[in-house]
Formats: sequence, structure tokens, C-alpha cells
Amino acid sequence: MDPVYKFLLCLKYLRTRYLAFVCIVSVMLGVATLIVVNSVMSGFSNKLMDRLHGVLSDVVIETDRSGGFEMSADEINAAIQASPVGKHVEATAPTVEVMALLQFYARDRRGNKIPIMKHVKLIGIDPEDHAKVGRFKEYLKRQRNVDKPNFDLTAEARDRMNYHRWLGDWDPTEQPRPNAFVPPNIIPPADTPKVVVVSPPLSASAFREVGIVVPPMPIIPAPEVPAGPPPRLSGVILGYSLAHYRYKDPETGITEEIKLLAEGDDVFLATVGSTGMKPVYSTFVVADYFHCEMSEYDSSFVYIPRSELQQLRAMGDRVNNIQIRLKPEAAADEKLVHEVIIPELQKLFQPGEAQVRSWQQHQGPLLEAIEIERSILNILLFLIVGVSGFSVLAIFSMIVAEKTRDIGVLKSLGASSRGIMTIFLSYGFTLGLIGSLLGTLLGYLLTTYINEIEEVLTMISGRQIFDRGIYYFDKIPTNIEGVMLAAVNIGAVGTSIVFSVLPAIRAARLNPVRALRFE
Amino acid sequence: MLSAHNVFKSYRRHAESVQVLQGLTVDIDDGEFLAVVGASGSGKSTLMHLLGTLDSPDQGSITLDGKRIDTARGRERDRLRNETFGFIFQFYHLLPELSTLDNVLMPAYIAESMMGWMQTRREWKRRATALLHRVGLGHRLTHKPRELSGGEMQRAAVARALLRSPKVLLADEPTGNLDTESGGTIVRLLKNLNREDDVTVVMVTHNLEIAAQADRVVRMVHGNIVVDRSLFPKPVLSAAG
Repeated sequence: MDPVYKFLLCLKYLRTRYLAFVCIVSVMLGVATLIVVNSVMSGFSNKLMDRLHGVLSDVVIETDRSGGFEMSADEINAAIQASPVGKHVEATAPTVEVMALLQFYARDRRGNKIPIMKHVKLIGIDPEDHAKVGRFKEYLKRQRNVDKPNFDLTAEARDRMNYHRWLGDWDPTEQPRPNAFVPPNIIPPADTPKVVVVSPPLSASAFREVGIVVPPMPIIPAPEVPAGPPPRLSGVILGYSLAHYRYKDPETGITEEIKLLAEGDDVFLATVGSTGMKPVYSTFVVADYFHCEMSEYDSSFVYIPRSELQQLRAMGDRVNNIQIRLKPEAAADEKLVHEVIIPELQKLFQPGEAQVRSWQQHQGPLLEAIEIERSILNILLFLIVGVSGFSVLAIFSMIVAEKTRDIGVLKSLGASSRGIMTIFLSYGFTLGLIGSLLGTLLGYLLTTYINEIEEVLTMISGRQIFDRGIYYFDKIPTNIEGVMLAAVNIGAVGTSIVFSVLPAIRAARLNPVRALRFE
Repeated sequence: MLSAHNVFKSYRRHAESVQVLQGLTVDIDDGEFLAVVGASGSGKSTLMHLLGTLDSPDQGSITLDGKRIDTARGRERDRLRNETFGFIFQFYHLLPELSTLDNVLMPAYIAESMMGWMQTRREWKRRATALLHRVGLGHRLTHKPRELSGGEMQRAAVARALLRSPKVLLADEPTGNLDTESGGTIVRLLKNLNREDDVTVVMVTHNLEIAAQADRVVRMVHGNIVVDRSLFPKPVLSAAG
């Protein structure tokens, strides 16, 4: 059992050596930083995985063939159900996924009509089926969590669509639309009065309510039918970021969300047919927005009815993608998924026809990149704790020098060298422990209130610290993991002990006679 | 009996080796009050450090009751310093963070394990308090060293040295930093301990008046004893007596 004096002196040194608080503060800051960064990284990672899994189902079957799988969607479904995998399947959703061009008209502040074109991923779905295999309906803006999501227009959207038809919106000679806006890539000349107008209410009656005079019918030229096939009047669910963007006023620094496309607005979608690489295109009407908070998806996904896309591309009932949702117990068993389900599904197709992957395999490079990034960041951040370790070393060396004569006295009273070493090691351990606990508390508070802190910092600095335009999410996601907390604390306490070993050995080796004569 | 036999000790100062003790031999009887006098650098303090196992001789031997202690293992030497020897230094060397009582209790803190301390702490505290009363510091138990005068600090150091009832008290210039009155008090205290408790006292001093209070005085020059004189020889009882 250790003699009493070690604890007594360790405690006394803690209470009287204010330099020790520098050690505590440096350990505390290191631990807090590690916890905050790890929690945010983990939050990002978890939310990203959650979103990735929300967009993709448990297992995805894809083909690169332009015309889709050899079998029709119903035949594939039947084959899956009849296979050994069938008992593990909860739902399937056949889709058609192709690259496409989205075009629509926007207006600058002077009312000039500007065609906007974006490349998108056009996905033909049956919304009810698609909602069963993932979190599709959770991400819909208007129809969020409705039982049966669809492409139907609301009465207001239909009004707006009719109003544009009536206004002759596709005619280049028509009057400027009242919802003028600034597209993201157009910088107004300096003399242009700065007016940012967010989209007004969408119905014609609403225009009258806000005092906008609708031009009388006779002076509006008759609408001209745009070139190409007549509009199908089919709804489209647009990725949220395709229809909205954040605009930061360079003068005021205020960021506003500008709506480019309201429900009821027309868009063109052009892609290629299933054979012969012939361009095909059609007009659709915005019915809803898809907002999964993953900017990559929100800025590229465009959903239309599967039948429309199949018809447009002349695919018949063929599809090029099957999303499969597994029963929870099967989905949780990675071995079953990778060693049984995927190989069994692969057998349903001709060699080279289809690629069957789990959602993790599908997003493998991204998930791997996140893990690598996290590991590297952890190594780099642990250097902060390393720096605090050096402060422990420096301060302990000073304390040992200061206490040299006392060490001599203790040895003259019978204290062993080992005992002297234990005093300083216990001291290092205690400082590390207190620093770690305070750091954990600080890190926990910073992580818990990180969004509020970000708001305050943004308000003070005038610069947005967490730019929602760049990152995937609207709020900084965090996730405090118990294992991470334990690892950081053990690491910090261990570092404090390791860095106090050298001064402790020096103290233990002090010759008592020299120590007593030390001045 | 505490003895040093043919002891040599040198120190390295920068690149040079300084011979401090040169074949010194001295025997100190149990219960004797020995004063060691000599000029600075004559080797008085070095002798005391060697006798108290704070240092080891280059050559020669130190024995306690016929048993060599200079070659004892570290743990045994620690035990000797804790139980058998009590040290009093010129600059008191009290630990500034601790109260007077805790300073006096330090040898017990070093000796006792946590469990042992829980059982014996009352006895130790009673003893330490009694010692502080004996040296006239009963009213200063909770004071920190910085709140005490030089004489009071030295008396506290004497109480600390006595806590474990040592056999030998080694005092290195105990009055060197005190005024005449305080110095006199300390010497009287040492003398009383020697007389009443039969503690062997080895006192290094410059002051010949203080040295004259001892039973025996040795004078050191250049690391050796040149004068060894008994002032108040203790009566030797005859075998019949």
C-alpha cells in the first residue's frame, strides 16, 4: 500500500501550484477540441450514411444497358419473389434512371428571359412503390410523409400553370413575370437598383390581392406553342436545389433563399431514347420538391412517373434499376446480404447484364473516404493533446526544479526515490484526469450547443461559419459516441502521465545532499 | 555506537575533484552529545550526511552498532533515515505547503500506508502535538512555515526530527541562521533531549560557545579530525556499581 505522503503532497501541490492549472487548461482544450471535432465528424458521417441509405434501398440492381434489363419489371419482380431471396424481401421498386438535361426559363432583374440548363439524373418511379423501399416520402417537401405520394398538381399549382399559359409565358414578347429574380450566375450592373423579390403567392387571385395589376386579356398576344411536342401536363418532382438557391447580397451580407421554380412552372426535360441514341424531350410541370439535405442529390435528382419516362424513351415495361428493401432482420445481417442475397439475385440475370450491390457497396468510395478522413483528422488532432503533453513536461520540469530542496528534505526524512517519482506521476495523472473531465464537459456543451454557437459567431463576425450553401445539411449534425469519449479521455490522461515520467524520474534521481544544498 | 572508519569522500566541482574527507575516523557513543567544529569546507556537513546515510563514502565504512550502513540497500537506508536518524538543518527546510503540524507529521506520513494511517493517525497526531508543545509551538499547529519566525521554524524542525523517536539526531548548524537567544533555546532543547531522552546528538557548528555545551567536541581541518576533546565525560559506571 502506498504511503500517505504521496497523496498528501500530490493534493497540496494541486491546490497550491497555480502553474498546474495551465496543464489542466491545455489538456482540457485538447480534449474538448477532439470531442467537438469527432462528434461533428461522426454526426456528418452518420447523417450522410442515413441520407445515402434513405435515397438508396438495401440492395440495388442496375444495368448499364440503355434499354434496361432483358426482363420486364413485373417479370423481374416475380423472379425475385420466386428465388431463395424472396423470403427476405419486404418491397421492390423498379425504376428507370437516366442522365438528362433540365431546361427552364428564368428572368433577371430587368425582366430579361434567360434560359437555364442543368444536367440532372432523371428517375422514373412509381411514387407509391418507391416510397416503400426508402425514405422517399420523408424527403418530399409538400407531400412529406403522405400515405400515397404522387405527381398530381395542387389547385394552386394548376392555377399558376394555367395563368402562365394564359399569360403566354413561353412568348418572348410577353410582359415580365412579377416574380423577378436573380439567377445565381448573373451579377447585376452596379447602377441597377437592388431589388430581390422572392416568389409571390402562386395563384392568379393572389396576384390581385397583393395589388399586382394583371394585364387585360386583349393586349396580351395569344400564346404561341413552343417548338417540340405539346406539353404532357405530367408532374415532376424536382430536387430542391434545382428550384432554389441561396443568394448572398454582397452589400448587406444577408443570405436569402431565392425560388427559381414554383409549383405549376414548366420545365423541359431532354434525354436519349432507349435505342439509337436519339434525343427525346418533353415538358413537365413542377408538382413538388425532393429535399433530402444532400446537396448532391437535391441538386441533381428529378423524378417523373416511370410510365412517362418509359414511354418517352420507348422502353415498354422495361426498367434499368431495381431497388429492393429487405426485411429488417435480413438487412441487419451483412453476411447474409453479401454472401447469400446478392449472389442469389445476381443469378437471376445473364452474365454482365446486371450489377447487384448493397447500398454500402454502392456508396463504398464515399463511405471509405469519410472513414479515412476521420482517421487522419484524429491523428492530426491528437497532436493537440500532444502539445498539451509538452506543456505538462515543461511545467513539471519547472515544478521539480522549484521543489528540489523539498525533495531533498523528503529523502532525508526517509522518502524513497520510487515514492518521489510516484508523487509526480500521480500529480500528472490527476492533472490529466481533471483536464480530461473538464474537457469532456466543455466538449459536450460545445457539441450540444454548436448550432447556437455558430449563429452567435456568424452574428458577431458577419460571416457565415457553417455555410449551408456548401455543406450537405441545414444544421451542423453531431453525434457524441461513448467509445470516442472514453478513447479521448484515456489518450489525454495517458499523455499526461507519459509526459510527466521524465520530470518524475529526474525528481526521483535527485541526490538528496545536492537537493538540500540547491538554491 | 555510530562510527566512521577511515572515510574518504570527494566531490566533483566542474572538472576538478575536491577531496573533502581524507581518511576520517570517529566513534560516537550512544547518548553522547558531539559537537563538530571547523572552518567552512573542512568537511563537517559531509561527515554528517555520510553518518545519516544521505550520501555514501568513496572509501571506508560507516557502522551503526557494529553493522555497516553505508553499503545498505536503498530501502534499508530510507528506513534508517525515517526511524533511526533525525535531521535538523540550518535553513529548517520545512515544506511550505504544509501546516506546522503536518510538517512534524511528515516522517509518519512517509512511514505509514494509507490503511496504517487510518488506524494510527490519532496516536501520531497526539504525539506530534505533544512534541510541538514541548518545543513551545503548541499555539502554532495550523500555521504555515511562512507565518513562523526563524526560531519557531527551527523548533518545528526539531519536533519533526523527534517524531519517530530517533536514536541519533544529526543537526547541521542548527543555530546558524538564528539570533543568539533563539540559538540558545535550540541548543538547550537539544541538550535536554540528550539528557532526558538519551538521544545521541551530532551537532555541526561554527560557534564555539554553542559547541562548548556538548559533551565532546571534535575539530575538523581539511577533512580530518585534528582535535577530539571530551568536555563533560559521562560517568562510567563500574561493573560493580
